[in-house]
Amino acid sequence: MMSDNGYYGQYGGSYIPEILYTSQQQVQQAFDEARNDPAFIQALEQQWQQYSGRPTPLTFCANLTEHFGGAQIYLKREDLNHSGAHKMNNVIGQGLLVKRMGKKRVIAETGAGQHGIATALVAARLGLECTIYMGAKDVARQYPNVFWMRQLGATVIPVTTGSQTLRDALDEALRDWSGSYADSHYLIGTSCGCAPFPEMVSFFQSVIGREVRQQSLAQFGALPDRLYACVGGGSNACGLFLPFMDEAQVEKVGVEAGGKGMALGEHSIRLSHDLGQPGIAQGFASIFLQDDQGQLQETHSIAAGLDYVGVSPIIAHLAEQGQLRMTYASDQEVVDACTLLLKKEGIIPALESSHALAAAFREAGTLSPQQRIVINLSGRGDKDIFNVARAVQDAEFPQFLRSYLSEYPDNLQLASDAGQGRAV
Amino acid sequence: MSTLSEFIRARSQAQQTSERLPLLAMTHVIYGYPTVEASLAWMRRLLEQGIELLEVQFPFSDPVADGPTIVAACHRAVENQPQMGDCLQQLGQLQRDFPRSRILLMGYLNPFYRFGLTRLVQDAAAQGIAGLIIPDLPMERAGQFRRDCAGHGVEPIWLVTPATPAERLASIARQATGMLYCVSRSGVTGQKDGAQQALAEYLSTIRQHTDAPLAVGFGIRRREQVEALVGQADIAIVGSALLEAYNAGGQEAGLALLASLGMI
Ligand SMILES: Cc1ncc(COP(=O)(O)O)c(C=O)c1O
Repeated sequence: MMSDNGYYGQYGGSYIPEILYTSQQQVQQAFDEARNDPAFIQALEQQWQQYSGRPTPLTFCANLTEHFGGAQIYLKREDLNHSGAHKMNNVIGQGLLVKRMGKKRVIAETGAGQHGIATALVAARLGLECTIYMGAKDVARQYPNVFWMRQLGATVIPVTTGSQTLRDALDEALRDWSGSYADSHYLIGTSCGCAPFPEMVSFFQSVIGREVRQQSLAQFGALPDRLYACVGGGSNACGLFLPFMDEAQVEKVGVEAGGKGMALGEHSIRLSHDLGQPGIAQGFASIFLQDDQGQLQETHSIAAGLDYVGVSPIIAHLAEQGQLRMTYASDQEVVDACTLLLKKEGIIPALESSHALAAAFREAGTLSPQQRIVINLSGRGDKDIFNVARAVQDAEFPQFLRSYLSEYPDNLQLASDAGQGRAV
Repeated sequence: MSTLSEFIRARSQAQQTSERLPLLAMTHVIYGYPTVEASLAWMRRLLEQGIELLEVQFPFSDPVADGPTIVAACHRAVENQPQMGDCLQQLGQLQRDFPRSRILLMGYLNPFYRFGLTRLVQDAAAQGIAGLIIPDLPMERAGQFRRDCAGHGVEPIWLVTPATPAERLASIARQATGMLYCVSRSGVTGQKDGAQQALAEYLSTIRQHTDAPLAVGFGIRRREQVEALVGQADIAIVGSALLEAYNAGGQEAGLALLASLGMI
């Protein structure tokens, strides 16, 4: 999708403090040049293949198809990317761009930690310094990811301001960039932020939809009838949908986090209901969850990667134009969908991706057996083991944690003696 | 010449009292921090002290251009659910009570956008607010806003920074009317003299493109920093340092800081 100077209808743009003007322009210029440079594209494709493991398969799900008795169900396996999520596609792209710009350090924000891990991995591989901002609450909730980021050599900075989640991490990353733009690049993890980030991240993620096209034609000789993707910031959805925008007959369905309920703070539904309002924040114009005074609000989802307060300007625009249909799935539906995929197909999905599954499962039975749907499995679920164990009320998990802890009492003792015990 | 710059020139010329440095003082207060009442009382106290320019920040949940002290205060202020309509009216009352000073409203785009930018300019004008500072509104996107401001006699105040490219700096400076907000980073490398030299060059470059008064904010917390601006800028802005002093010791500590800076 080409923007009109960084705008998608009334959304997008670049609303940043003056101090970031030069670095924003640098990114814009570097991206414009790189996307048209065959050598850059070749290097990108090589890293995608040799490092991340692309192309990822398109997997037919015979058992689920039979279970619902409707459309034929396929999964696009972004969970098989190195580090277990589609985030890698974009991070490799921007990582190569950083080298091209001659900068030596990357800054990133992360919610669940997937983007943080992908960034830390690529920074290590490309020899870049790496600083990751993460809300203090997310640090506590997703400590295993923090652990790996630190092992990879990244500096993880817990953000203790505001709601202590992704939104605040994003603010902090922007502040860091304001002071460090001379040698640092802000490697945004989703198709949000000031221009050209929404376009650039979508460009790198569009490999998903391009592969789905080719694989569909090769595997069943037609394009899919319907595509499903979860929508946090919107990068995996843009990646899947954009290569199909010329095909109106391919229906695109974006799935937001319905969370626990409809009250502000209990969900992250910005588009599929009248809950979000147009706004301009964090560098771009889009739909945000906010109060009548324009203050951004807290969000919730069982999937940390979906509880973002804004949404990609590209998704907001396409939804407004009726070019994609938005819906949402509740935390409970998501856990059910996750468990069903585990049992029927032997695949462990991320809770983020399980939102797309939940919506597709709701609708699959209403379609005919001639129809085919593709659900983007944006990531794998290993990282969600704690959340899922709690959601399914697994009785032995707490037991396991207790016995695990009891195995190294000395270390724990040391940490608390030094007054630096961390939340696990 | 606009009324805000006329005011600044007139006050600059009138300001020959011995105690104070010959620069106008611009102090920053967050509306609603720690409470709406307390913030209004603090503004009133500053105006009583003869502060010429009062910059009032309407708090936002995501103040991306601010440092930690101001961020924390904004978050606290947001909890008090500040209302834009009330804020404008209360500032109007202050302006009427202190006609010898000027009030500028600063804030991030989203709360203003929700209120309605055109309505904001109209209401600000009706309340006698002299200028509006919106750090995340790029000049390129501000056509309607600038027309509204021009139509109502409110000054849109733009920012430049040492990182602003030369051409853009010239263009923004040329369009500045009421005053130009010159951000200078505190973490400039090199020794003190080098930094001061760089600041002097930066300001004289800006000066080549505009007659508008120059306001400089760069983490001012010591008297030498203010002294270094004399003759190069018209206004010294004290933001975070004032808030830190206020946090540590309330209004008295804030005033003590301003006195030590030679600004009251
Ligand atoms: C596995 C997975 N899927 C989806 C998302 C949501 O992001 P986006 O909407 O940008 O694809 C995340 C974000 O962290 C994620 O980790």
